[in-house]
Amino acid sequence: MLGTFLVLLYAGASLAQNMCEMGYGGYKVRLSIKTALGDQAYAWNENEMFLFRATLAFAMRKHFNDNQYNILVCNETQRVSFHFVVTDPRNPNVPMEKVQVEKAVRASRHRINSAFLLSDSTLEFLGIPPTLATPFRPATPPWLIAFGVVIGAVCAGIIAMLTSSLVQRRRQKKGKEEEDGEEERGKVTESSMACDHVDGVCNRAFSDDERLTKM
Amino acid sequence: MDKDARPSWGSPMQFVLACVSYAVGLGNVWRFPYLCQMHGGGGFLIPYVIMLVLEGLPLFYMELAIGQKMRLGSIRAWSAISPYLGGVGLASVLTSLYLCLYYNIINAWSFWYLFNSFQPVLPWAECPLNANRTGPEEECAQTTPTQYFFYRQTLNISSSIDETGGLHVGQVLCLLLAWILTYLFILRGVKSAGKVVYFTATFPYLVLFIYLIRGLTLHGAVNGIKYMFMPKMEHLADPKTWVNAATQIFFSLGLGFGSLIAFASYNDYNNNFERQAIVVAFINSGTSIFASIVTFAIYGFKATVNYESCLERTRLLLLNTFEMAEELISLDNMSDWIEKLNATYPEQFDSLAGVWENCSLEDELKTAVEGAGLAFIVYSEAIQNMPIPQLWSVLYFFMLLMLGLGSMLGNVTAIITPLRDFEVVARHISIEALSGLVCLFCLLVGLSFTTASGNYWFTMFNDYAASFSLLFVVLVEVIIVSYVYGIRRFEKDVEDMLGRRPSWFWKILLVAVSPLVLASLFIFYIVSYIQGGTPTYQAWDKHLGQSVVTEYPIYGQVVIGLLLASTVSCVPLSALYTYCKTKRRPGTQELSVRSGTQELSVRSGVV
Repeated sequence: MLGTFLVLLYAGASLAQNMCEMGYGGYKVRLSIKTALGDQAYAWNENEMFLFRATLAFAMRKHFNDNQYNILVCNETQRVSFHFVVTDPRNPNVPMEKVQVEKAVRASRHRINSAFLLSDSTLEFLGIPPTLATPFRPATPPWLIAFGVVIGAVCAGIIAMLTSSLVQRRRQKKGKEEEDGEEERGKVTESSMACDHVDGVCNRAFSDDERLTKM
Repeated sequence: MDKDARPSWGSPMQFVLACVSYAVGLGNVWRFPYLCQMHGGGGFLIPYVIMLVLEGLPLFYMELAIGQKMRLGSIRAWSAISPYLGGVGLASVLTSLYLCLYYNIINAWSFWYLFNSFQPVLPWAECPLNANRTGPEEECAQTTPTQYFFYRQTLNISSSIDETGGLHVGQVLCLLLAWILTYLFILRGVKSAGKVVYFTATFPYLVLFIYLIRGLTLHGAVNGIKYMFMPKMEHLADPKTWVNAATQIFFSLGLGFGSLIAFASYNDYNNNFERQAIVVAFINSGTSIFASIVTFAIYGFKATVNYESCLERTRLLLLNTFEMAEELISLDNMSDWIEKLNATYPEQFDSLAGVWENCSLEDELKTAVEGAGLAFIVYSEAIQNMPIPQLWSVLYFFMLLMLGLGSMLGNVTAIITPLRDFEVVARHISIEALSGLVCLFCLLVGLSFTTASGNYWFTMFNDYAASFSLLFVVLVEVIIVSYVYGIRRFEKDVEDMLGRRPSWFWKILLVAVSPLVLASLFIFYIVSYIQGGTPTYQAWDKHLGQSVVTEYPIYGQVVIGLLLASTVSCVPLSALYTYCKTKRRPGTQELSVRSGTQELSVRSGVV
């Protein structure tokens, strides 16, 4: 009896292990430490792997508000990629459903990334889409502010110029009214062949009268 | 004193700067570098300079001479020179009107990009996220963030010219601002414009210089410059090279719009326009070459960045597929590793065929872009990779604004000056009111370019409204001056103004060479229109994330036809009108003599 139980237990434990080694039942993880950190990259060793398993267990526990989970890791490569499978200690034979694992990972993705000083693109869970941070949206679009400033300045400029030319014109009119009386007598009319009074076409080809009028 | 005296520039320098500001525009920045790249790099300078001398200089000289002599805008000036062919002035004004309608949209885009530069992260640097925040938005993922920002967030472009869509509020506001600013510059005519051009003409050079220094110090800039200046002489045998050089000179100098005539009409009668014409024409071409050095430095940088990120992606792909440690493959030994891996694991290597990218610096450099694409997409892509991108972005788009507004000054003046020549207008409407009306009209019509399909209409206007008609107008102008009016009378007029006759150089160019060049260009355009078949445009497909070539619908082709026909037909229709008018009243056609200076000196009290 005990023997069968032990055999079953052994067989069950290796089911999850088998699935892990075959590469399904969980997710593949890939880390690109050197790409992310360059000179300050740390070496990947057993300690880092331990941290990974601990972080993932934390993510699972946080999401399900439950007890410990076992993280089985296998197929580690030099690339620093491996496959992991999560098992529930109450049912160690069968790995947890992928969907559940995905939810847990997505919920704590930021914490997992931070533990390794990496980001969504350098710590990849193949098959789990990243949850990107919402970009900061200010209340008013910033371009509207710059626009408001410029259009205000330009409108002020136009109003200033229009009022100054209006004032100038009024002043000129006043001045002209005083002079008009004197000017009427001394006004020199132009040549009788002024263009606008004729119903024909103005030909300015022979306009060499300036030479005569320049003194 | 005398309120009817023609206003004039504050100084000859203002006139020169106004011409420079008008001629040096966006085409110098975004069309010339493209042509240089397409037609053999440094070798393109040869046909360019030759065309400048054969075609650009004499036509520029001619327009300035006409304006300065007649002291009138294009409509009355040409009517006075040649009564039957006076319609050419009207054609100029109509073309300027079409140009005004669509050109300020570019300034609106510049404003939009400028205002959007005041953010900690430039909005075209990253894709916005999709609804569940798992990755970039779908359309943006297909294409680059800069293209997405231009097509989706700036234009909100629809997928074809048929789908009108709604107005883009940001565009409307920016267009409104562009027109208000244009109004501010021209509201007092040359009095206000003359002061503005000090800034609009000189500021772009400052920015270009800063960008030159910045560009040359960028990583990979040398690749671009080497690529550009490497002359590929075989392009000189291609007639398209010479045609493009001639058209570039022609359009770059802004001939045929009537702006140069309008500017010159405010000149002093004895102003030395000959020297100024040479100076402005050479400054314009020099600026094109200068701008293309800057552009190619930026190109080289962008191409190098893209090439290196392509290499990086390939490296990651190799590492991931073959599960190798990160430090084993670097950019240097990558090619060795590729060979080794291909030899050892051929099947696995073949499985990569779907995602494998062939990284080539040459290919990246070859992707030549012109027009709005270059200015707003390629440049903003390069800017986002520079340190302190907000500063460079602000500088660059402010420069584009100055270039665009400087040209707008000339465009609007080309409409207002001829209108004010008519006494009925000048007496009853003040210059401020007239400028305001013209700006308001152009703004309201221009709103149609801010709809979702507006960019397609913009491209149509850009391609057809002011290209063929200008060639026609200037061809008629040079024929009038050389043959109808007569080169001898023109000589005498120039002697009258400058004190010496034009040299044989100018005369030969005006009488023989430039008409020949223009006529061949004109024929070439007609032939390519006929051979080109149905006109097409680039429609943005949001699912593919790129532009696809689409044919214009029937009504689009009708509009194109109208654009071309309306300006060209001004000349024969106006000739017909004049003929009918004189026929109805025979014998009353008097040759009246009057000119602006006579008016001035007579009214000053001196008899």
